[in-house]
Amino acid sequence: MRLKRVWRNIFGIIISALVLTVLLLLLRYFMPRPPVEKVDYARSILSQASSSSAGIYSRRLFKDAESFYDSAMIIWRRENEKFFLLRDFDEVERYAVLSASKAEEALRTAKENVTSLKMRIEQRIDTLNNIVAHLNKLFTNYPLSANLRNRISKGKLLLKESEIAFSKEQYLQANKKIIDAEYLLTESYKSAVTNLEEYFRSYPVWKGWVEKTINASKSNNSYSIIVDKYSRKCHIYHNGIRRHAFDVELGQNWVGDKRVRGDKATPEGMYKVIKKFGSKHTKYYKALLLDYPNETDKAEFRREIANGSLPPTARIGGLIEIHGNGGKGIDWTEGCIALTDSDMDVVFSIAGEGTPVTIVGSMLDLNEVLK
Amino acid sequence: MKNKVLFGLATIMMVAFLASCGKVPQAEIDAANAAIEAAKTAEAAVYIPAEFAAVQDSMNVILADVEAQKSKLFKKFGPVKEKLTAVVTLANQVAANAAVKKEEVKKESETLLNDIKTVIEENGKLILKAPRGKEGAAVIEQIKADMATIDATVVEAQGLFDKGSFMDALNKIKAAKEKADGINTELKEAIAKVRR
Repeated sequence: MRLKRVWRNIFGIIISALVLTVLLLLLRYFMPRPPVEKVDYARSILSQASSSSAGIYSRRLFKDAESFYDSAMIIWRRENEKFFLLRDFDEVERYAVLSASKAEEALRTAKENVTSLKMRIEQRIDTLNNIVAHLNKLFTNYPLSANLRNRISKGKLLLKESEIAFSKEQYLQANKKIIDAEYLLTESYKSAVTNLEEYFRSYPVWKGWVEKTINASKSNNSYSIIVDKYSRKCHIYHNGIRRHAFDVELGQNWVGDKRVRGDKATPEGMYKVIKKFGSKHTKYYKALLLDYPNETDKAEFRREIANGSLPPTARIGGLIEIHGNGGKGIDWTEGCIALTDSDMDVVFSIAGEGTPVTIVGSMLDLNEVLK
Repeated sequence: MKNKVLFGLATIMMVAFLASCGKVPQAEIDAANAAIEAAKTAEAAVYIPAEFAAVQDSMNVILADVEAQKSKLFKKFGPVKEKLTAVVTLANQVAANAAVKKEEVKKESETLLNDIKTVIEENGKLILKAPRGKEGAAVIEQIKADMATIDATVVEAQGLFDKGSFMDALNKIKAAKEKADGINTELKEAIAKVRR
């Protein structure tokens, strides 16, 4: 009887275990399943997007993706707090899918944005470096206002900062700097060119003087000297053909015609050598004295005194020479034209009293200069 | 009858026990979050962004794992706890690395700031030795303007450095240093040319 009861209990336990197992299997089957894979996928795409700096270069889409992912997690947490048979993960899945889709879009657009931004910055850096090269070439020796010089300096430094940020792949910072640099440098360049245009207004007159001088050299089969202030060259013509071109240094305020004594400007006009000084008679190695001021200069000076643009106490300048001691690489004279001693030897040997010396702002027109 | 009731109760208790035996490791999660926050405070996102992003991603994986376990009938948080411990270690390492990197950038900025101040001082002396005739000339005016801009940039960079924004300060100083060096060379060449 007892044995029978034992067997009955064992049988009961087995049946209960079986029922329990079936019950658990059924529970597991009917239990709502969370979208683990979808959430995982969304997270992994978000992570990739983050590594590709989508948070910076595709900010809005990345923020949306993050926000959808956070929503999915919050809803998942909330559903997990419910009784397990009452959980509903549909919203979790919906937000996870939305997050993944936004993250994919953010990843793609971030890559595109980085590529195009990088290209744009590179182009801007190239353009601005060209502008800086132009500014250096055209205006290093050209007097510009202090304000303009400051703007150019700031622009150049911002360009350098942009290049540094670019080399570190900090494209947003690089872009910000390059935009500021672009504004400063392009505006400064425009102002400087406007300034130069003003100076080049006299070009037709200069052109006439140059033609006359070269023609005279040709018809007289003689030497003529033409000084181009802008390009800082002294050209020697013989029989209408250019034989030499030497570098020169000018007065510190070389832009524009000489108006008054002490203005440190190099005059513009058609002159001639009136006296030659050997090395014993000048402190500048050798010198050719010009007939400045000529009649035209004197008339212009008188006109300026009369119309009040010069004070009555002003005195007209003089003693303008072509001399040696040059080669300093700067404009340092009081208005004279300085050559290196070896170049001066050549000029001194071919020039005599009466040799025409024409000094012009430029032998090239502005368009050629800007090219 | 009494036995059957007891048996049924035991079964229900066993199921309940199995279903709730895993408890969310909240203390470990809090510790990991605190370690990540500490790394953030150490400016890991600024100085070692990739490493910091990796820690954050690991934490996101774990949090998703926690929710996945919570959704199960039989929860198992053992592996999650191990991962959380690893994240704490990683986050601490990232915070330490960020501090090292920050110190490196600080040192570099400091060295460059000192170097540039020396160059600026030298340039100030050189410009006085520049050819007399050069005063008032366009070249010297541009150099003076450049020097003033460099001075202003150094002041700005010093401000950023003092505020602890070493990374921002570094870019500024580097650019200014390059310019200052350029001026130094230009002035030395001009002086040498005149002496010839």
